[in-house]
Amino acid sequence: MSLRLCGHAIKAASNAGAEEAEALLFNRYSTNVGIERAEIKTAANVKDVGIAVRAVTKSRIGFAYTNRLTIDEVEKTARAATRASKASLMDKNWKKLPEKKAYPTVEDTYDKRLTEVTPDEAVSVCLKMMAAAVDVDKRVIPAFGGVELETNEMACFNSHGVEVKDRGTVFVYYLGTMARSETQVSPMCLEFKASRVYEPEPDWVGSEAGKLAIQSINVGKAEAGEFPVLLDAFALESIFMYALIPSVRGDNVSRGKSKLKDKIGSRIAGENLDLFDDGTLSGGLRSGKADMEGVPKQRTSIIEKGTLRGFLYDNYWGKKEERESTGNATRGGGRLLLPPYGTLPTIEPSNIILKPGTASEDELIAQVKNGYYVRDVQGAHQSNPETGEFSVAIAPAWRIMKGEITHAVKGAMIAGNIYDVMEKISLIGKKSRQLGTFITPKIVIDKLNVITK
Amino acid sequence: MELSLLKDILVSVIDEIMRAGADYAEIRAQNNDNTILEMKDGQMEAVTVASEVGAGVRVLAKGAWGFSTTNSLLRKDLAESLRAALKMASTAGKKVREPVRLAEVKALEDRVTLPVKKDPRNIDISTKINNLLDINKSCYNFDKRIKSVTLNSANLTTEQTLATSDGTFIEHEKMFVWNYCWVTGKSGAVMASARDEIGAHGYELYENHPPDRIATRVCKKVIQQLEAEPAKSGAHPAIIGTDIVGVLAHEALGHICEADLALSGSAVMGKIGEKIASEKVTIYDSALIPEGFGALKYDDEGVTGEKTVLIQDGILVGYMHNRETAGKMNVPPTGNARAQDFRVPPIIRMRNTCFKEGSHSFEELLEGVRFGYYLEDFRGGQANLDGTFTIGVQSAFEINKSELGKPVRNLGVSGNTLETLEQVDACGKDFGLEMGRCGKGQLMFASDGGPSLRVKTILIGGA
Repeated sequence: MSLRLCGHAIKAASNAGAEEAEALLFNRYSTNVGIERAEIKTAANVKDVGIAVRAVTKSRIGFAYTNRLTIDEVEKTARAATRASKASLMDKNWKKLPEKKAYPTVEDTYDKRLTEVTPDEAVSVCLKMMAAAVDVDKRVIPAFGGVELETNEMACFNSHGVEVKDRGTVFVYYLGTMARSETQVSPMCLEFKASRVYEPEPDWVGSEAGKLAIQSINVGKAEAGEFPVLLDAFALESIFMYALIPSVRGDNVSRGKSKLKDKIGSRIAGENLDLFDDGTLSGGLRSGKADMEGVPKQRTSIIEKGTLRGFLYDNYWGKKEERESTGNATRGGGRLLLPPYGTLPTIEPSNIILKPGTASEDELIAQVKNGYYVRDVQGAHQSNPETGEFSVAIAPAWRIMKGEITHAVKGAMIAGNIYDVMEKISLIGKKSRQLGTFITPKIVIDKLNVITK
Repeated sequence: MELSLLKDILVSVIDEIMRAGADYAEIRAQNNDNTILEMKDGQMEAVTVASEVGAGVRVLAKGAWGFSTTNSLLRKDLAESLRAALKMASTAGKKVREPVRLAEVKALEDRVTLPVKKDPRNIDISTKINNLLDINKSCYNFDKRIKSVTLNSANLTTEQTLATSDGTFIEHEKMFVWNYCWVTGKSGAVMASARDEIGAHGYELYENHPPDRIATRVCKKVIQQLEAEPAKSGAHPAIIGTDIVGVLAHEALGHICEADLALSGSAVMGKIGEKIASEKVTIYDSALIPEGFGALKYDDEGVTGEKTVLIQDGILVGYMHNRETAGKMNVPPTGNARAQDFRVPPIIRMRNTCFKEGSHSFEELLEGVRFGYYLEDFRGGQANLDGTFTIGVQSAFEINKSELGKPVRNLGVSGNTLETLEQVDACGKDFGLEMGRCGKGQLMFASDGGPSLRVKTILIGGA
């Protein structure tokens, strides 16, 4: 990785008149193998490299990026960022770019073995997943799936002396299955594993995905009303990420868009709920030593025993609120799904951890007695984070009667409010898993409104 | 780079890889220039300018696809990228039982320019910033209860050169001007938000949507929700308005009619020729609506874009195809292969997906409803392959004894596509087209629309 490009960019911006400048260099190398309709039909080898320059002139911010990594083009980009800053308007919230700080040591975020996996090995992981799924039952169709091996390198330099580089590997493999009986089609059932190290367990992914599909075609009656509901990590991740997490983002708090604005120190959830973000978690999918603007990652408490303790900040919003950044700056994505270096920082959790309890799988189901088990939900992104209200379709989902899972249900919804949900947690599982930025066990909610046809 | 020079390079590296064992090869070279603005509560967060160059390269060999990318259009880098793609294809194809076979297409040479009135690249940044400032000001002036305004605008332009081993060589200019607002209001303890999303191929977008009109449109919806009450959960009749009917076409039916998903076992797999909806329902996906975000002369495989009918009078008549699925099903490709940019391969995407108009006035649609809901505008939508769809609604009203009643807020609707389409009992003679974005691993601009529709029953999930 040519770190010198960062130096060239900062110098060119400052020569063009920028008072502060930052350069972010980002490289991603990935190898992907894709499953479609029970066959391996695609494999890709993709590299995305780019440099992004943030230039500040009289509290005006300009930003430019390019994927042409020659000194000439990088300097041109730095000048474009500076020009853009001069064309922009003064941002009265602007303080300054991040200052130099010490970085934590974070373990298990890079595995050299992962960079050496051959396309053949990736193909064999896919074949094993499919074989294990069909082994469960011949009616299982491995509809889609794949293996993704990713190596990311980042370097962030700025004119206040920040000079940090980091690298990480990610290994994801997944299988989406469906099953058909004479009268029923299952919903798409997804299982996956994701880790920073290369230790494949394709049989587990395949057989779990297969079982889910088969368990989803034994469809029976759904009953409307208020019921206890066991929520799986998939469902919890969707609901928490869309209905709660936007309200703990410092920008939303600062802009009056969070219901939690003046609630630090107040109880907002049941005493059995602890929630924190940890960007330094060993092996965490979003762990690293620095965030995407060079601020050290850290552990930040959000909810402790039901009491609201803190919010997540990047440099801009942290400084505006006269606090420190919590190291939660990310880049890229957004409404236009831009490349990982293609936007200014936005606030995102690293690894949000919902503290596990002690209940086993059987205890969780028994706790429900008469209710539902919801594996996944659909439509959570239409939640209203400003009120916490959500209303989502549930699939795959099962009825629990007399403390046992009896049959799958179709076409039902659950609706509620995340703050109400957090008050009504009656049991928390002991085994956690990570989905995206969220690490959670299964939990039982005492009462949730189930809507049916 | 001189275009004639680029053509020589593309043709010669493609020739080389064909001699090395490829059955098909394709290079999509792009130059992208983007300007993106974000304003929050009147503060200009950033002016972003981006300049990218790159090529997405696909090779078919041993019956499977290999894909690779490069950020350089130099001969040696394109050739290396093709070799990487060939290697990946050969690896993927080792166990293929049913090799990929592409539908035949005629080799085409063409240069496509867009008939835009105002090229966004010729508008200076201060004009673009002032435009956002005007929207922002009009929002805050609309009502004291407006508390927060996020504005995004983007001009994305792409100069694409597509060369394939079939002899196709198409230069394609693409342009999207997009404007998005998210406005939040607060009244006592109640908070509510609404979105407004518009787009066009040129900067003339803002001639049709001056700042105060955008602001009024979105702020009205915020205030309406602040004053609204929650809906009654359960199954109710509904009129689905012209701003929301497209989401139903796109999310509920469109995705499951994408041939890759249909072949993967979606709810319409194997149902071509069967009646799957009420006879009132005709749905099509068209590349030929010029103002639509999905308008295209050729798709990213060089296939000519057309109007593809999916449901005709209730009967499923076709899917949306790329060359691979068309080859598999022995039908002509429909021109639905689209890629976000050079970083990703083209996949089957919708273009402009619409319900066909009927003959009823809005009043006639209301006449049939004793109690139900009029769903006016949406927040977002999502669908599963089994046909379960959800739509978040940001503007809705009760219907009482055939008359529009009080507004209701924050409801989600859900249903099963085939059951819901069977419930359509009348279509309006009005028509609306919405510009939007669709995510299928990649982001794509697309449009959807149709007339007001009446459904006998749909599941309303009031929060």
